Amino acid sequence: MLVSYNWLKDYLGEDLPSVDEVVELLTFHAFEIEGTEKVGGDTQIEVNVLPDRASSCLSHRGIALELAVLLNKPLVVDQLKDETELPVLDDFKIEIEDKADCSRFMLALMEGVKVGPSPKWLKERLETLGQRSINNIVDATNYVMFGLGQPMHVYDSDTFSKKDDKWNFVIRRAKAGEIVKLLPEKTGAEDREVDLKGTELLVVNGESDQAVALAGIKGGTYAGLHEGTTNIILEAANFNSTLTRKTARALGILTDASKRFENEVSSTLPPYAMRTIVELITEIASGELKGVSDQYPMVQAESVVTVHPDRVNKVLGLSLEESFMKDVLFRLGAEISESESGWLVTAPKERVDLTIEENYIDEIGRIYGLSNIVSITPENLPLAEINANHYYSEKIRKILGELGFSEVMTSSFRKKDQIHLQNALASDKEYLRSSIIPAIEEALALNIQNVDILGLRDVRMFEIGTVFTKDDKGKAREHVVLTIGARVKKTGYSAKDDVIVNEAIKALIEAGLEIGVGAKQGICETNLDKLISALPEPTKYEPNVPLSDITYKPFSVYPAIVRDIAMWVPENTDIDSIGRILKDGAGELCERITLFDEFAKDGRISYAFRLVFQSYEKTLTDDEVEPYMAAVYRAVEKAGFDTR
Amino acid sequence: MQPKTGHRHPITATIAEINDIFSRIGFSLAEGPEMEKEHYNFDRLNVAKDHPSRDMQDTFWLKSEDVDEPTVLRTHTSPVQARYMDTHKPPIRIIVPGKVFRNEATDATHEAQFYQLEGLCVDEEINLGHLKGVLEYFFSNFLKGEVEVRFRPSFFPFVEPGLEVDMRLLSGESKLKGKWVEIFGAGMVHPNVLKESGIDPKKYTGYAFGGGIDRLIMIKYGIDDVRNLYAGDLRLVNQF
Repeated sequence: MLVSYNWLKDYLGEDLPSVDEVVELLTFHAFEIEGTEKVGGDTQIEVNVLPDRASSCLSHRGIALELAVLLNKPLVVDQLKDETELPVLDDFKIEIEDKADCSRFMLALMEGVKVGPSPKWLKERLETLGQRSINNIVDATNYVMFGLGQPMHVYDSDTFSKKDDKWNFVIRRAKAGEIVKLLPEKTGAEDREVDLKGTELLVVNGESDQAVALAGIKGGTYAGLHEGTTNIILEAANFNSTLTRKTARALGILTDASKRFENEVSSTLPPYAMRTIVELITEIASGELKGVSDQYPMVQAESVVTVHPDRVNKVLGLSLEESFMKDVLFRLGAEISESESGWLVTAPKERVDLTIEENYIDEIGRIYGLSNIVSITPENLPLAEINANHYYSEKIRKILGELGFSEVMTSSFRKKDQIHLQNALASDKEYLRSSIIPAIEEALALNIQNVDILGLRDVRMFEIGTVFTKDDKGKAREHVVLTIGARVKKTGYSAKDDVIVNEAIKALIEAGLEIGVGAKQGICETNLDKLISALPEPTKYEPNVPLSDITYKPFSVYPAIVRDIAMWVPENTDIDSIGRILKDGAGELCERITLFDEFAKDGRISYAFRLVFQSYEKTLTDDEVEPYMAAVYRAVEKAGFDTR
Repeated sequence: MQPKTGHRHPITATIAEINDIFSRIGFSLAEGPEMEKEHYNFDRLNVAKDHPSRDMQDTFWLKSEDVDEPTVLRTHTSPVQARYMDTHKPPIRIIVPGKVFRNEATDATHEAQFYQLEGLCVDEEINLGHLKGVLEYFFSNFLKGEVEVRFRPSFFPFVEPGLEVDMRLLSGESKLKGKWVEIFGAGMVHPNVLKESGIDPKKYTGYAFGGGIDRLIMIKYGIDDVRNLYAGDLRLVNQF
């Protein structure tokens, strides 16, 4: 929700703390703040109002009350405060088909308004919220929505046809195939005709049975406001949150109004909103209120919750004074009456989210400040159970690691497989994997090309992960597999691959892990769930060997260039010193130096090294590497070694 | 030369380390399915149908012909809370590391699959102080330094109060030292979640916490692109 700092000042007075202080207060006591931005002489604050608070805090008044509670001062103005008695008018007939769909529907008639531009202050307020000013009447409806959280709609009463000399409003579900013409989106210029399925809720002119609005979501073009409008009907209603949400989503029409109804704004708001908008329109567009009609078939029940002050402290782990707790609840606008069993707390009318004791514990805790929670150090306790899957997976990792196998993780998604997702992310991720073999094949092919940069002779890898298959009834099932693979040649599979994998299988079997399958095409996969279920229950975990503290280094995506150098050195030459000579000569582009061959002959030793050159910026050419290799040769010869 | 030993994937190594840290204070490692019934992934966690809070996680759905009841790829490891409480009586102390899925566009810090750690403790007299203590204990052991933990109000349907956990490293050499990092979501287990598992919320209270293991790894080791964790690429794995 975008919030105007100046608008908050209207509620809290000129001595409202600075923007930064407001942000700080809200961050640590109420909401996450996404950011702030200066807009003209105002500041826009983006407040992330989560679903639990959205019923009352998608409004400036809601956010202002949060600050008022935290600053321990009253609101300067509060449109939700005093009861309101607006004159009743008999010129409306309101029929609500199902009160579960629409708990309240209120209309007001104003005559003699002058449509025109909004005053500067109102334009600026809306501008801070990224809203375009349309005209004084429409802006007034938006001002009330962003101010109080109550969406409003307006009709031209002269073009709204009557029946029996009354304006007839019917709130009913759509008929399949019915059409409603909607006002354009803020950004679009076109009116839209929407074909309805029959589940949607409509506001209908009872005289002609014509849809005039998609209830709670978007107004229709019927009886729309125009420059010459002088008499208007204002609407403030309350529509079912689930229904609004479903319709808005199904039609893809998400509006500021639908967002508020989805989040179950209180049905007590319409009269307050009506009074506020009438006062505002009178001020900025003249006109006179003729009266209102209010159908309220489903009155919001008062929420009374028993709160036990001792439980508040027990859950928060604090020892707050009862007087402090009471004060917080009062400041929030709740009422308290003491009873034998605890405090009977009545929620303020706009706070439909306060329904259980824990909600009040949350309120008291956050207003006091969650940063004041004092930590209790955990004690050492025995384990209730040892997880066999974890225990044996760790054992497998250890055995395979000792044989030079590295562990990988690949994606659970495949382009084509058995189980097709209903809503895939991308065309190459539409299915769930039924086997890890294809991904290991791909990983072997990828990594064998990088053996030089990895300093390896061959690639050995495994993955332990979940796969998804269909059972004989065609239903999706999952189980964990162990997949082991090896690759020796850059050109692809060779029989040596199977030899390496089968050695690993043999080692696992010797450790009591009956793999039960052999390598095929350099890969083997076995059902690990099945394997582990047949093993004895472990009684304690093996000691864990944590990873060493490394700092990860991003790797280059550009191909490497490989150069070999062989040399004769005296028998007692320190190999590390040779490494240093090579490294100094090879310069910064040399990513890795690997010793790949050594033999002794006639009191001398022959060493062969492989140097891998790679840039992080581009693909290197042979010409770029040559000077470095020349430097390496010079350095080696300068050290007195014979290169071969 | 083939090195003598292969390398562990940082995620499983981290899970093993997390398990080691929590096992000392009596937290067992629990698991659940990756294909999860909607009932456990949402309903049992107090996430009402057609409620805006369902939008907090973009969900992959299985096709109805493949499943007996509405099924998703789990969007968090929290459903294991409900599963575990169905079959165990308090005191309960578990951690649940596991793979989760979110149907959202991928970038350097978001992948459609990632690993999450869940923690749950249900016992008599459990309060937010215990939660703060356990988080300080974990982060300081995991990051090998003195840490400070800070709570901010937040919302998750299955806890109340719900909060965001920030952490700041106070000692050591890390680049992160002195910076607040938003790291976990947490709170006191919602009474509805306890009730649904037949646990009396008047007698027992509990805390739960959860966060991305990938994120912990990125923070600890400075990994720049989370997608590299799942590329099967030894240029990443063999650094560990």
